[in-house]
Amino acid sequence: MKKASKKIILLGHFGVGKSSLIRQFVENTFTSDYKVTIGVHILKKEVEISPDETISLIIWDLEGYDDIKKTRASYLLGTHGFIYVFDVTRPATFENLENDIAYLTDQYANTPLKVVGNKADLVTKTYLKENKDMFGVAPDFFTSAKTGDKVDDMFTALAKELVK
Amino acid sequence: MLETYRGTYFHPRTQFITIDTSGNVLESDNVLFALKKGDDISSVSGFFEGLASYFDANEDNDIKFTCIHLENKEQREYTCDIEFKTFANDQPALVIIHDFSDHYKYYQEVAQSRNESVINSQILELKNKYLKEKEDFKNTFIANFSHELRNPLTGVTAFCSVLQKTDMTLEQQDYVEVIKSSADHLKNMIGDILEVSKIEVGKLSLNEELFDFHELIEMLEFTYSVKAKQKNIEFEIEFDEKIPRYIESDKTRIKQVLENLIENALKFTLSGKITVSIKQNQRRARKVNLNISVQDTGIGIPEEKLEVIFNSFTQLNNAQKFIGTGLGLSIVKGLVELLEGKITVESKVKAGSTFKININLKYPINQESTSLERKSDIERKNYLSKEKYNILLAEDSELAQMAVLKILAQEGNFFLDIITNGEDVIESVIHNEYDLILMDIRMPGTHGDELTKMIRSLPVQNCKTIPILALTANLYDTDKKRYKKMGMTDIIEKPFDESTLLKKIYKYLK
Repeated sequence: MKKASKKIILLGHFGVGKSSLIRQFVENTFTSDYKVTIGVHILKKEVEISPDETISLIIWDLEGYDDIKKTRASYLLGTHGFIYVFDVTRPATFENLENDIAYLTDQYANTPLKVVGNKADLVTKTYLKENKDMFGVAPDFFTSAKTGDKVDDMFTALAKELVK
Repeated sequence: MLETYRGTYFHPRTQFITIDTSGNVLESDNVLFALKKGDDISSVSGFFEGLASYFDANEDNDIKFTCIHLENKEQREYTCDIEFKTFANDQPALVIIHDFSDHYKYYQEVAQSRNESVINSQILELKNKYLKEKEDFKNTFIANFSHELRNPLTGVTAFCSVLQKTDMTLEQQDYVEVIKSSADHLKNMIGDILEVSKIEVGKLSLNEELFDFHELIEMLEFTYSVKAKQKNIEFEIEFDEKIPRYIESDKTRIKQVLENLIENALKFTLSGKITVSIKQNQRRARKVNLNISVQDTGIGIPEEKLEVIFNSFTQLNNAQKFIGTGLGLSIVKGLVELLEGKITVESKVKAGSTFKININLKYPINQESTSLERKSDIERKNYLSKEKYNILLAEDSELAQMAVLKILAQEGNFFLDIITNGEDVIESVIHNEYDLILMDIRMPGTHGDELTKMIRSLPVQNCKTIPILALTANLYDTDKKRYKKMGMTDIIEKPFDESTLLKKIYKYLK
């Protein structure tokens, strides 16, 4: 069985639930207590992307910034994929989404990227449908780290793109 | 000695590791992480897997990482800065791990408190925004709905006045009186709702004018002495004669505040006395500061309810005998604040309540040389120069047409042309010489304000000066400003009764 290691990075404002998404994905747990991430935590999880192919995701959980350009350059070295997370309930976390995504696609043109609106459990599906233009960029997934909704799907979708 | 101290207090917190091109450990001093020769460096953390592509770089390179969380085999967590050095000339790569856990622990606490505070303030801001939007929606809805209710009421009130002047039996007259009084009551309640919703969305503004304050108080004293007598209650106004006679403020709103407070006192006082006190506190820079109080010996307000009595729709006593919308005091508070005053209340159950207002009012310095036009508008009809006046009524509602026709016909001073369509108005103005135009705003075709603008620009002799009075229930400040800008002379508010309509018409006829 083939097994590759791929480094992915979660970016986005503080408090959007990056660490919670990773914890839900890796450990299937969730806590509503907010603990600020400083610097970077690194977790690993093996993901089966096909019956005969498994990928080892090295997930870098980065400290949240209100400006993506403030991210320390060394953290981004050798990154195979990005997940940009925002909080669907806090406009401050997505008001710069369009520019941030433009910056990433410009600087890392060939690196796969998923845009994720988290905390979807706090709003209705109708709200997300009716307000999707409000985010500036159409998100690839609306997730809930709390309920686990679409969390595995999101990481697996990115993993599959990494081996293409 | 220094060496002794170093031996006691210095604990090296930096680990040096050399690795081969596959990432296997060659040497390690194991200060933080226990590694033996041949171990994969990635066994320390997935962090090093991300560097795998640099392990065999045969060149001088130095990459620095800050604040990396690592865990040793005993699950002790370290927060470290890591340097990764590669060298030319086949020298092995060097990994230096600096443990700065204490420093980063402090940083974590600072960041935690900063982020929590930012997130909480953002959430609070969103909640406030949501509540404001909800409140604005409610108030706009109420304002629009109340406005729609006023239109049909015009028909009821106007025709009651007309009907009262026809031959009727006494019984029929009583019935009409009941209809009129119910319609007036409904009109007042709708007015209250509209007023409070306007105050709450900040759409009410003051209309300052020079008026005789003493006369206003005398009028209130007269009106409420009669009303109080009917209820067997004493009524007294203690008025400080030092207060300037002429005041520059919104007379209607000041009158409304005083009336609402006195009406409130009358409503909840079953016996005893109502005392209105109006005293000058001080004068400074063309402003007089007044202490106004309305004291009653009524049922009083329980202490725990004192805070809510100024809220909209608050009726403390739900007993049938105290009817009303519960908006009176809310309007008073809104108006007092609009007038930049302050209102407070003191009360004792079964002893009575005292409402106190402190307010600054502007006054002209030279009171002696100030005078007001004292002739009432309705009295003007005795000074008119023509026997008959031509009036154009542009109105599509048949009910309103009939009301105006009946009211004017009784006066006998008018020829009335009625036009129901916006387009025909201009034609008629060109071919007839009108003395006054009554203009509905929501006309089919072209709206009344637009028609006014067109009339004002017509090259016909009196089109620039002819009085054009709007007939409308749209009375927001933005509407009023637009009517004025379009050239309308004045507004007759719907629903109108006979006296309102005639007063306005006579005011503008020469």
